[in-house]
Amino acid sequence: MRTGATTGHPSAAACVPLATSFIERESNVANEKGIEMKGGMYAFMSLRIDTTDLDRIDAMLADKVQQAPAFFKDTPVVLDLTPLTRTADPDSDESEAAARLDAMALIACIRRHQLIPLVASVVDKSSPLAASVALPLIEGRSRRDSVTDDTPDFSSTAPLSADRSADRSADRSADRSAHWSGSDGQSAEELAMDLSGGGAEIEYVARTPMLIDRPVRSGQQLYARDTDLIVIGQVGPGAEVIADNNIHIYGPLRGRALCGVSGNTSTRIFCQSLEAELVSVAGNYRMLETIPADLRGKPAKIALDNDRLSIEPL
Amino acid sequence: MTKTIVVTSGKGGVGKTTTSASIATGLARRGFKTVVIDFDVGLRNLDLIMGCERRVVYDLVNLVNQESSLHQTLIKDKRLDNLYILPASQTRDKDALTIEGIARVMHKLRKAEFDYIVCDSPAGIEKGAKMALYFADEAIVTTNPEVSSVRDSDRILGILQSESKRSKMNEEPVKEHLLITRYNPARVKDGQMLSVDDIVDLLAIPLLGIIPESSSVLESSNAGKPVILDEESEAGQAYADAIDRLLGEAKPHRFMEVQKKGLLKRIFG
Repeated sequence: MRTGATTGHPSAAACVPLATSFIERESNVANEKGIEMKGGMYAFMSLRIDTTDLDRIDAMLADKVQQAPAFFKDTPVVLDLTPLTRTADPDSDESEAAARLDAMALIACIRRHQLIPLVASVVDKSSPLAASVALPLIEGRSRRDSVTDDTPDFSSTAPLSADRSADRSADRSADRSAHWSGSDGQSAEELAMDLSGGGAEIEYVARTPMLIDRPVRSGQQLYARDTDLIVIGQVGPGAEVIADNNIHIYGPLRGRALCGVSGNTSTRIFCQSLEAELVSVAGNYRMLETIPADLRGKPAKIALDNDRLSIEPL
Repeated sequence: MTKTIVVTSGKGGVGKTTTSASIATGLARRGFKTVVIDFDVGLRNLDLIMGCERRVVYDLVNLVNQESSLHQTLIKDKRLDNLYILPASQTRDKDALTIEGIARVMHKLRKAEFDYIVCDSPAGIEKGAKMALYFADEAIVTTNPEVSSVRDSDRILGILQSESKRSKMNEEPVKEHLLITRYNPARVKDGQMLSVDDIVDLLAIPLLGIIPESSSVLESSNAGKPVILDEESEAGQAYADAIDRLLGEAKPHRFMEVQKKGLLKRIFG
């Protein structure tokens, strides 16, 4: 599952409640303004539905969520139903797909996997499919029909990549650049800049790694979306560092480290002293007790070797 | 410039109130106008340690709710002229505190030209503890030499980084100090307690002081006299050293080694 983004588009009424809820959280108690309403731009995980086969969706969701249960639990998602127009006959709009998709059952299924669908993105709000979805609606664009993407995967919409020339690379660059403002505290400006990258003709934009130059304390959780996480200092017991790419820790790793949480099996964890409670690469994890004693307390590299977690001294 | 210091730990019973009382007293003895605030609303203790429990009329909650003036609420210490105590309410709970209310109190204290405001935090990481650390410029993290205390201190350091006013306003981070209390070198040697090196390694913050385990701490508490005033005791001397370091002096750490008993002590116990 990759990220997409929703924009606080003036016409997207559905975004207003989301925006206010974030403002409430951000305003600290000392200078409370009561309420404040303004447009904002927030990144959300987007769940794109390409198929009307509910059993298949169910199985794929179960598989995704199982890779990082703690991460996906109670994660808000934008339900992207725009691809279903692509499979339907252009003349009949969404009606054909809508007839085959039980929207209520779909939403129930997503909730069962402890994801929280917030809004549904559809091509046409007045279409039958849209009418059957019991969620607030936003109008999104379908990716160009010429994009042949036969593997129905969980991918994202690229709302800012309307530019035709960019569509070719939109799939990758927007996915890579879009990112999440919830947990890692990235600023809205940075997010906006990242998103604007989706409109440019760039095949692949390597995101700047997330760099933390202080110890990660017990109870703190850091997530580097779509990038590497570098910690200069220790990761304390009870702390959790998570990244879609590699994790580098210049200090002792005493908490949990999970790399490749979005499924990238070629990611690795590096640390100067392996004392971790848990290490995980793309969902394959090991607890400290199962780490050989001669590797503990020493610099180590943790990688995936044929679906098996290998821990090697550095 | 008023400096606000929070004494915090996460875990209970590690010596926050004892430390708050001694640090405030130590600063006042150096000539700084100091106030020590008890944030443990509902479990008021600081007044006992400071020996002013019979003189409590108004409390922090009254002041926060603007039911009393600063002048009425502050209790002047009997021993030191420039030391004041702001007691907690015993009949209310932590919900009686609000950031706005505390902000008003802090503003009044700054206007009254206090040099130091020492905030004695309640245990835990809930509202009371967060209120106590919100306005902090510096933090004294009190830790006992055992794993659960160290982990809780690690947690509270994380909260200082994310929930203090300085972090929320993107100002320079809160200056962190580690104070190890109830340190018993003999038990460290036996492996029953974590050593200073272990704790410093685990928490990775500068060491302000090591307070040895001492019966004089309990005796002083019972007598309502901050232990720093007991200049004979090792704990009192260790707090005095910590004050020096807090004020920027470099001093070697003491009381880390097992004390060899002298001949007379061995004979007479």
